[in-house]
Amino acid sequence: MSSESNETASLQRSGFVVRKERLYGRLIAACAVLTIVVTVGIILALSGRALSFWSQISPIAYFTGTSWSPVIAQNYGVLPLISGTLIVTVCSAVIALPIGLAAAVYLSEYASDKARSILKPSLEILAGVPTVIYGYMALVYITPAFKGVFPSLRTFNALSASIVVGIMIIPMVSSISEDALSAVPDSLRQGGYGLGSTKFDVSTKIVVPSATSGIVASYVLAISRAIGETMAVTMAMGMSPQMPYFPDLFRNLAESGQTITAAMVQIANADSLGTGPTYEAMFALGMTLFAITLTMNVFAELVRRRFREEY
Amino acid sequence: MATEESTSDGLGRSTALRLQHLKGRLFEVALVAATLVGIVSLLALFAQISIDAFQPGSASPTWFLVYLGTLVAPTAAFTLYARRRPAVRETNAKAFAAVFGGLLLSFVTYAVVDSLSPYDVFTYVFFTSLPPAIVVAYDRTTDDRTFTGPAIPASIVVGLAVAALLYDVVRGPIGIAAEWIMYFGLVTVPAALLIGTLTASRRGRRSGVVAGGSVIVGGLAVAVASIVTGTNAAFPVVLFSAFVVPTGYVLWRSVRTDPEGRVGVAGPFVLLGGTLLGAAVVGQFGIQNPDTFLTPTLLLESWDGLRANNAGVYPQIVGSIIIVGFMAVLAFPVGIGAAIYLEEYAPDSGLRGRLATLLEINISNLAGVPSVVYGLLGLALFRRTLGFGTGIVFSAAGTLGLLILPIVIVSTQEALRAVPDALRQGSYGMGASRWQTLREVVLPEAIPGTLTGTILALARAIGETAPLVIIAVATTKYSPPSGLFSSATALPLQIFAASANAKPEFRHGVVPAAAVVLLILMLLMNATAIVIRNKYGREH
Repeated sequence: MSSESNETASLQRSGFVVRKERLYGRLIAACAVLTIVVTVGIILALSGRALSFWSQISPIAYFTGTSWSPVIAQNYGVLPLISGTLIVTVCSAVIALPIGLAAAVYLSEYASDKARSILKPSLEILAGVPTVIYGYMALVYITPAFKGVFPSLRTFNALSASIVVGIMIIPMVSSISEDALSAVPDSLRQGGYGLGSTKFDVSTKIVVPSATSGIVASYVLAISRAIGETMAVTMAMGMSPQMPYFPDLFRNLAESGQTITAAMVQIANADSLGTGPTYEAMFALGMTLFAITLTMNVFAELVRRRFREEY
Repeated sequence: MATEESTSDGLGRSTALRLQHLKGRLFEVALVAATLVGIVSLLALFAQISIDAFQPGSASPTWFLVYLGTLVAPTAAFTLYARRRPAVRETNAKAFAAVFGGLLLSFVTYAVVDSLSPYDVFTYVFFTSLPPAIVVAYDRTTDDRTFTGPAIPASIVVGLAVAALLYDVVRGPIGIAAEWIMYFGLVTVPAALLIGTLTASRRGRRSGVVAGGSVIVGGLAVAVASIVTGTNAAFPVVLFSAFVVPTGYVLWRSVRTDPEGRVGVAGPFVLLGGTLLGAAVVGQFGIQNPDTFLTPTLLLESWDGLRANNAGVYPQIVGSIIIVGFMAVLAFPVGIGAAIYLEEYAPDSGLRGRLATLLEINISNLAGVPSVVYGLLGLALFRRTLGFGTGIVFSAAGTLGLLILPIVIVSTQEALRAVPDALRQGSYGMGASRWQTLREVVLPEAIPGTLTGTILALARAIGETAPLVIIAVATTKYSPPSGLFSSATALPLQIFAASANAKPEFRHGVVPAAAVVLLILMLLMNATAIVIRNKYGREH
């Protein structure tokens, strides 16, 4: 009698344990599915208001207009903002891509273990510094310093904004490229040395070419980060959207401008919260930005997956 | 003839070799330069910003000499001494972490609880910790623990609900008690329990009760002493329980158990003593102090847009800490849960395997979404859909939580991946279920890695500005947030807003000082993460 009831109790208990385990599994699966909900939420949040914006302002006028002046002239042409974003992106890429790759080659091929253990975290700090502080340093220290060299530089200019954005994306290039370089099998290096190559030749003609896809992925991700960068460009580059100057290319750097992200911050900072096409333009800009960066990230992920399969 | 030819050939080859060697050297130098250029330029900018914040140029040379004698020289001598002795060095590092960690803990606890109202915090903490405490106590008395595991989180939820229901009834009577009693319950009692349990596990139950009891008695004594001398007892009680007690315990144990390294305990006191002695000498002889902007005013007052010497960022600092703390509560359980699912539960193949791959791709894309876009998401979600007020703590924490979710997931996944499979197999072999294996074997192994990743995520979140601007968090407020649904402000927002102020005492004074405070917060978090990684990272 008593043993029977014991058995029932233990059966009940093990049934409870099974259900408990299943519940825990479902709970954490729900956590994981939440990330999909976030993506869907972003798309819904952006598209609802962006579509409402594009029903008032025609998409053709938005994508081909050459003047962005939402409050004063009701002009919603995105080209000046794209031009500002491009100037900063190209210029910071010119700084960060070669430096980041060189740092990756050094860390992966040349550095001793001790040097690497110090340099890697220090490089990561570059990406960890809050971007407001980068923006402040660009505005208050870099611009005055460069003004001595280039007197035509404005108080708000694309040059110092690009420099700080370049500095902050170096670690993105260096860490992902370094992973790709370290993934190159040692046998390839040994083969190179066996044929009588120097370390220089092995690094530049064997290791770097073998890791091309990883390096390309790191470049794309870094550029995508530069496109989405907000505070530094808002503070250092100013709020005056400009179409690019031709043929005086340097003038593009010396003048102030406005990026897509800075325009969003400007609208959010204004008091007219909640209604009107200007407010909805912020979501249209967000949608544009999201589309650009998403495309680049997916592209980088595809390139990266290919290189993972190679070895 | 033949010999001549071969020598000239040899010469040519050696020149070519030398050139090649030179090329290799130059290449290496260029690589080193490229690696260093970003770091060096950032250091130069940091130096600029700290010079502006600290204004060393305004101090008299004697000031530097005094502090060189009292602070720099003794600390340097002690560090050099400790460097050569590994035991001393380790104890020294531990003592530094204990002393400054304890100090930081007391200040942060006091500031946060003070701004949220100690009575409210006490009410909620009391009601949410009592039911799980009862469950744990029951757990100790019984052999059958099948039901107690899930009962703990359930009881916390029940406690929270009870607190919310009874709040209006209970808050009045609790409000009669003195403020320090709330802090006593919030800080001293947990400290006493912690010390008591630790001592009991080492030296038996009786010593544990004695140790815990003496912490309680000490806390009461501190309270009585400050009431007798006429000061507010709240902060002394917090300082005693969150700094003196835990730091004293760590240091006392080092001295007792580690005869070789016990000298290292003196390290932080050389530093603190040197600072105090220097300040005393400077005050005594009337030596010119620097006109620094890193003053107690900056840390303890609220913002003043007109007079730089009155401007402070206390509400901003506390706001940032509360936002980031609540963000951690919201985001970390979800992020860690998602990582556990992807690493430990999700199958590799079939429909669910495909779902897992989709989730992975989605997470890496989310990590690349610009932070302004998260601001728009927060705006749409918290303001339009849930109808929350503008710029409240909850919206800010929720928005930042969504932003750091992918970072938390990826770093936790890496930590889980680093746990060797043999441990899991061993646990399964002994008949443990999946959840038991996870809780008892995998998670404890993965804690250091997870901690590193989550602290880095916190450091990222504390500097985030753009999403907060988009969801319209106020830039300047004159008091810290009083609750999770009260409006807040954050330190980076104040820096953004004040960067437009062109007055030199702001542009080259208060704003750099605020930036230094933000940088110190961020670097402290990064350093903690790196220390944890280096300490536990080499085990596998």
